[in-house]
Amino acid sequence: MSSDQNLSADVVIVGSGVAGSSIANELVRAGISVIVLEAGPRVDRQHFVENFRNLENKPSYQGPFPSTPWAPHPPNQQSPNKYLHTTGPDAEAYQQAYLRLMGGTTWHWAGCAWRYLPSDFELKTRYGQGRDWALTYDDLEPFYYQAEVMMGVCGPDPSVEDLGSPRKQPYPMEALPLSYAGEEFRKLITEKTPWRIVHEPQARNTRPYDGRPTCEGHNNCMPICPIGAMYNGSYSVYHAEAAGATFIPNAVVYKIERDAANKKVTAVHYYDPDKGSHRVSGKYFVIAAHCIETAKLMLLSADEQSPDGVANSSGQVGRNMMDHTGVQVTFISGDKALWPGRGPLETNVIDNFRDGDWRNERGAYLVHMVDDNQVDFATQLAISKGYVGRELEEQIRYLASHTVRLFSHNEALPDPENRLTLSKTEKDALGIPHPQVYYKLPQYTVRSCDHTRSVFKQLIHLMHGTDEEWTPGYFPQDHPSGSTIMGVDPKDSVVDGHCRTHDHENLFIASSSVFSTVGTGNITLTVAAIALRVADTLKKELLHG
Amino acid sequence: MADFKHIFWSVLFGGAVLGGLHAAPSHAADDEQALMARGAYLATAGDCVACHTRPGGKPFAGGLEIATPKGAVISTNITPDPQNGIGAYTLEDFEKALRRGLRKDGAYLYPVMPYVSYAGLTDQDVKALYTWFMHGVQPVAEKPPETEIGFPGNIRMSMMAWNMLAESEKPETGDSATYDKLRRGHYLATALEHCGTCHTPRNFMLVEQQDQYLAGSQLNGWFAPNITPSNTGGIGDWSEDDLVAYLKTGHAKGRSQAAGPMGEAVEHSTSHLSDEDLHALAAFIKQVPAHDDEMEHQARDSFGKALQDPDIRSGIVHRVDDLYEMGGAELYDANCAACHGASGAGTADQYVPSLYANSVVGSGRVDNLIMTILEGVNRSTPSGHASMPSFGSHSDVQRLSDAEIARLVNYLTIRFGSGDHQVNAEQVGAMRQPHPAPAPAPAAAPQEAAKPAQPTQPDHP
Repeated sequence: MSSDQNLSADVVIVGSGVAGSSIANELVRAGISVIVLEAGPRVDRQHFVENFRNLENKPSYQGPFPSTPWAPHPPNQQSPNKYLHTTGPDAEAYQQAYLRLMGGTTWHWAGCAWRYLPSDFELKTRYGQGRDWALTYDDLEPFYYQAEVMMGVCGPDPSVEDLGSPRKQPYPMEALPLSYAGEEFRKLITEKTPWRIVHEPQARNTRPYDGRPTCEGHNNCMPICPIGAMYNGSYSVYHAEAAGATFIPNAVVYKIERDAANKKVTAVHYYDPDKGSHRVSGKYFVIAAHCIETAKLMLLSADEQSPDGVANSSGQVGRNMMDHTGVQVTFISGDKALWPGRGPLETNVIDNFRDGDWRNERGAYLVHMVDDNQVDFATQLAISKGYVGRELEEQIRYLASHTVRLFSHNEALPDPENRLTLSKTEKDALGIPHPQVYYKLPQYTVRSCDHTRSVFKQLIHLMHGTDEEWTPGYFPQDHPSGSTIMGVDPKDSVVDGHCRTHDHENLFIASSSVFSTVGTGNITLTVAAIALRVADTLKKELLHG
Repeated sequence: MADFKHIFWSVLFGGAVLGGLHAAPSHAADDEQALMARGAYLATAGDCVACHTRPGGKPFAGGLEIATPKGAVISTNITPDPQNGIGAYTLEDFEKALRRGLRKDGAYLYPVMPYVSYAGLTDQDVKALYTWFMHGVQPVAEKPPETEIGFPGNIRMSMMAWNMLAESEKPETGDSATYDKLRRGHYLATALEHCGTCHTPRNFMLVEQQDQYLAGSQLNGWFAPNITPSNTGGIGDWSEDDLVAYLKTGHAKGRSQAAGPMGEAVEHSTSHLSDEDLHALAAFIKQVPAHDDEMEHQARDSFGKALQDPDIRSGIVHRVDDLYEMGGAELYDANCAACHGASGAGTADQYVPSLYANSVVGSGRVDNLIMTILEGVNRSTPSGHASMPSFGSHSDVQRLSDAEIARLVNYLTIRFGSGDHQVNAEQVGAMRQPHPAPAPAPAAAPQEAAKPAQPTQPDHP
């Protein structure tokens, strides 16, 4: 079915998450017309809050977000997840969770808003590993700040706690006060280890900000902040809409159309839920559809002109899949009760293993003390130990107050063999193939995880820990990246330093899919910063070009 | 914005100036410095900035649109800029405007300017205010748009007749800093804070009905409640300390909290008054004649109690696109309970207030409850920043429909207030005023000024 609608805008954006919506907001406020196509539906907070409260499996952060048939996303973060199919030796380690709905995956994240280190952009030059990005920290610094202001990021005073990423301005908000568990863990690290523990920068309000309230520590940032104290992409959607941007929900883009010379994109085509097809033309196009879906769309658009998919003359689309695949352990502290679960989920990070000469042989990592409620874990443990009645209640109280959970974000390297392809057998309701990923953890990451385990063991020993429960194998961190990798050479990369595809001059990509290496720290702030830089480039070309 | 205001007031007045006023002996009043300090304090007590500053504008440069039943009045520039403000005013000109509603060119001011109240100022305080406005306020070369309404009958000259109907305060005499408590309270309430401007009902000519002083009045969707000492209609159950706490912080625990225009009055004015003045003001308000209220039959803050563990769990998890209609209990659970508690008790420290024993929920008039849900609370005082997000048309947290707000209000008043007020969606819709869209996130860099272009409109699938 073809459509006689004539949808057109200066800039057409695919995806309404933090990247797409913030680009839309910037452009529309500069007088540039924008249409944003979002595969998922319009949603609101109140229904997610009720879904969460009615959900039996509270730790499932995909649980409150059952997806639509036309825009499926992984139903859970365990294997098999029935949508993102993974294969290879470390298939289990690549079970990524994300959301397809208006506002994107930041509806459930922990708000961790790290800037990368300058060295993260020059891993090849400095340590002979992986690749260099085609941009530097200095290129991104102003956009990091713009993203921090847009989201409302709180963080430590750089003169007191320098996180290693040079800042021209202080954080927009003061750092979060630590919970009791956070304070006690901080004391332990400071007094009894040679390591350093820092306040994690967070896109979370420590004072009323941008019409949203201060964080109250409900402790369920994932799956849903019940009060809006934490940033999510829906705010940028609202702001862009207020300024005149058009957002079309339930618009599943399935084809990127190019001109006869295959140099410029002329339109994108989308299906509505009834599979009616619609064409949207524009001067510029931005794919901001999350690492997995962005690569999927490029491959899906293969045709006679581009048999391997759009923007894929390098053959690198879908390759170089990375994550912060890490290690996780939960144990019972033999020392005093910490009572975790009384603040935001993540506030404290040990950052000694974030950078050093050893990065020439093993990946960097961050250690998080996860401050989440442990009643679920404690109850299962107490029952497994055979307690009943009053003793069971006492044990649950004891164990929940003494449980410590640690996990790490370990650096991966881009390996072309780690590859996303389209499933030949599994399709969604619109007939669009599901994505599948082959994953083998790079040895660089394996060595990093081995090092992490030794650090965790030292911490368990220090806290007189018992009942260690190690997550088997490796722990996916939902930071997929690399699938449309950035580089200076069109022969081995998909986009240049401005996130413009080498093959198509008016096609940009704003997603973690452009990351040349996965970096150290959660990916979202860097996604937002490169998105705002894409908006800046587009403004320059459209207004002054 | 609120933070800017907070900084502005802190810098402008500082503790020393505010605290020092009463300590300063009156014989020092001739001294320029003391006069300036007194003028600054009086301008705060008179809350001039509330009307004479537009949102995001420079202090006292005017431009705020003030809705009246006759149309919008736009406040003027009262900075000492000679062309656009009052820089060319002599003390005599200033006095005429302030106490008699006469502009320098002889035209009458609209009575939105509470000159009938300011008429009660002493000569000495008029001089102090004049001195501070001329020397303590930054001149701003901005001309706000002219007001374009007729009041009543299109000509400002008809104001002469109105002024004869309206009863002005009689100027006080002597040194206002030396008055005894009740006289000082009367002076603050009438000549400065002009409480009656909002809280006293007006007749069809918009003249304050002095025989109904502080008995409550409509105010742009909000209702400035009856604050006379009636035990049923007013605040007869409040102690002087309750009133002082309310005026100082915007919140009297277990009684009420300020939002909307009263939140602004607390933020700009009463929270900066000295404790001695607040007690004087409270003592005066507690002894004005009590007026009962046909819509209030029991003290507004005396209703309700904590709910016992309401269990509304269905166990059903809906698909993301299923934005099903929620009942009052679910709306409360999803939007209110995270802060106000499942039981409605609020937080232990009452930063988030209880919804029972709460005048806004207990009132026989649901206006302020609806307006608080629509607009939220954003009140910054030296004692802290009270914040509740808006659930109105521009909320980033949650945008509730008229029908949802009606269901929620009915649930709240049944559970925690004075019963079922059977609010419907139309009533809520009528109170949803068009407001300018809030600025997005504070801009990191100056935004390029440009008007957004409209793309071709699609049909939403």
